[in-house]
Amino acid sequence: MSSKKRSWISDWIYKRSLAYPYAVIVVALMTFLLFLVRERLNISTVALLFLLPVLLSTTLWGLGPGILSGILTFLSYNFFFIAPYYTLLVHESQEIIALVIFFVIAILINQLVGREKKSLEAALAREHESTSLYEFSVGLAGLNDLKEIASVIAQKTLETFQAEAVNIRVEKIYAEDSFSAVAGNTAAADQAQPVAETLLETARGVLGEIRLWRGHAPLSWAELRLLRTFAAQGALALERSALAHSETRAKVLEESDRLKSALLHSVSHELRTPLVTIKAATTSLLSHQVKWDSEARQELLTAVDEEADLLNHLVSNLLNMSRIESGAMKPNRQWNFLPEIVDVVIGRMHRTLGNTPLRVEIPDELPLVPVDYMQMEQVFTNLISNSFKYAPAGSEIRIRAKAIHPDNLLVQVTNQGPPVEAEHLERIFDKFYRVTYADKVSGTGLGLSICKGIIEAHGGRIWAENLPEGFTFHFTLPLTWDGMQPPLVKSEGE
Amino acid sequence: MTATPHILVIDDEPQILRALRTILVAQNYRVSVASRGEEGLALAAAEQPDIIILDLGLPDIDGIDVCDRLRQWTQTPIVVLSVRENERDKVLALDKGADDYLVKPFGIEELLARIRVALRHSTHVKGSTELVVQTGDIVIDLARHIVTKGGAEVKLTGTEFKLLAYLASHPGRVLTHQGILNHVWGPDYGDNVEYLRVYMSLLRKKLEDNPKKPKFLLSEPGIGYRFSFDA
Repeated sequence: MSSKKRSWISDWIYKRSLAYPYAVIVVALMTFLLFLVRERLNISTVALLFLLPVLLSTTLWGLGPGILSGILTFLSYNFFFIAPYYTLLVHESQEIIALVIFFVIAILINQLVGREKKSLEAALAREHESTSLYEFSVGLAGLNDLKEIASVIAQKTLETFQAEAVNIRVEKIYAEDSFSAVAGNTAAADQAQPVAETLLETARGVLGEIRLWRGHAPLSWAELRLLRTFAAQGALALERSALAHSETRAKVLEESDRLKSALLHSVSHELRTPLVTIKAATTSLLSHQVKWDSEARQELLTAVDEEADLLNHLVSNLLNMSRIESGAMKPNRQWNFLPEIVDVVIGRMHRTLGNTPLRVEIPDELPLVPVDYMQMEQVFTNLISNSFKYAPAGSEIRIRAKAIHPDNLLVQVTNQGPPVEAEHLERIFDKFYRVTYADKVSGTGLGLSICKGIIEAHGGRIWAENLPEGFTFHFTLPLTWDGMQPPLVKSEGE
Repeated sequence: MTATPHILVIDDEPQILRALRTILVAQNYRVSVASRGEEGLALAAAEQPDIIILDLGLPDIDGIDVCDRLRQWTQTPIVVLSVRENERDKVLALDKGADDYLVKPFGIEELLARIRVALRHSTHVKGSTELVVQTGDIVIDLARHIVTKGGAEVKLTGTEFKLLAYLASHPGRVLTHQGILNHVWGPDYGDNVEYLRVYMSLLRKKLEDNPKKPKFLLSEPGIGYRFSFDA
């Protein structure tokens, strides 16, 4: 039938409603046996033997049937074994004393055995309780997900209380929305009233509720206590998890806050520097106190123009960084011609670079690369601009590209700048990381991390190295696009 | 077209309107300004400007829609203004009929050059297309399929000529990748930018003095190509 599987014999023996009749039967049986051998037994032996049914009844059926059998034994002993027989009259005072003592002993034994049995029952119940609780705690240990915790609580409660269904309702904790976890036959639960309802409560307040369905069998007092312990343990586990989550969130927020203030610091410094030049130049030109000759005017205006371009570049970098951070920097790939991109970048940077010698070594037979044109332009712009800033003025910047594997392209940008210590090599691609002091070189400290973001979004890798020919940025780019090889565009015969 | 060309500027930034008005008036243009899309559309209909400068980021309607609605009734040249990060919008506006674009912030020389090209284009629409295009030392005879550089004939394949002819017949104007591909290779090739990349590099090798620093066949990053006429 159900999961309770005791043998029918023990079921029959322990049946509570039959305990008193059993006690009567046992005393009757003993009386009958002793009555058969009455002539051969000493009266005190009979008295001792009569303790047996009392013990038996008490042990098997508890205090009530034990006391009943004590009284019956006393009556039967008096009636059948003490002269005058078949009356309840007592003549000899010695026998009266024996009877009283016997009766007292019977009661005492009754009580002792009853108490022993009671404490055994309590110990067994406690053992069961602590085993259940142990299993419950083990089940919850190491769980961090709120929903997982709730469903474990539901499952363990279902098993321990042999319930039909268990429903755990968890209210909104911190930033987590409210939800329910169920175990067992929920269809049955929908129709009936739960037999038990317990709040999931901690010192901070009510987190939710456990509801338990088990037909019409109510929970015993001990079971109810166990359920409350479960609820308390479960509530603690839920709270611990919710706290851990909110702590992680707080850490993330703190970190992004820290980055934001670093960004603001860097940005306000970098944005203000060109503004200082622009403001100084324009106010000079607006001033009526000075007559500027045309050469000076030209110079001031050129400075304004250059600084405006620098500001524009800074703003682009910031925008790109925020796009990379938010995951919006998805490359819009097309089959592109790398030399064309490099040429456009060099053309655009012409004014910044002045007469810096640039050596571009990209073989004509280089296959088309599946990249986002604008983003690759940004990568080359940032790497060349970085090389220009850190290398001695007038030293050569070299750009090389070659296919290193049928599926991969390697690009190198080399400058004659000072070698960078090994400990910095990895970190120069981090946001705001600088090897030199911030005031010495202008820029947001974002250029290289933008390169890294773009290259990685393309499925490539970027790193820096001190090579004998100079400080070198390397990056790889896949030459295949969703498994497709670069297309070969055949030109018609001439 | 009247003697002084009339320019309508649609932009929501008052500082930009102020600066453009000052600069353009100083260049002898007549200038009207609108700070909203609807207002711009109404002014365009009422004043019939010779050229419209349109910012794509307007507060009321999308600049691309403004383009679209203008093109339903007028061929007035439109130059769109947009930030560098919005390549998609620029391409969309060009496909919707805008004639050219400028990346904000821009130098005024650039803007004036675009205005000149657009005005020339608007007169061209009314007249007939020129059959011989000359720029620098390159002469392209569109009717006879002959190209010369410095007097010497340059041999071009059929597709190379078709591409060059398409670019040269829209001198100074930006042409989108997709537009060029559709026109030269056919509607099925709209996404095959690689053809364009390869053929442009072939054309540059044949026509440019320094193919790495092209003067006539210019790349417009993320947008398309432009046949530079003023070079």
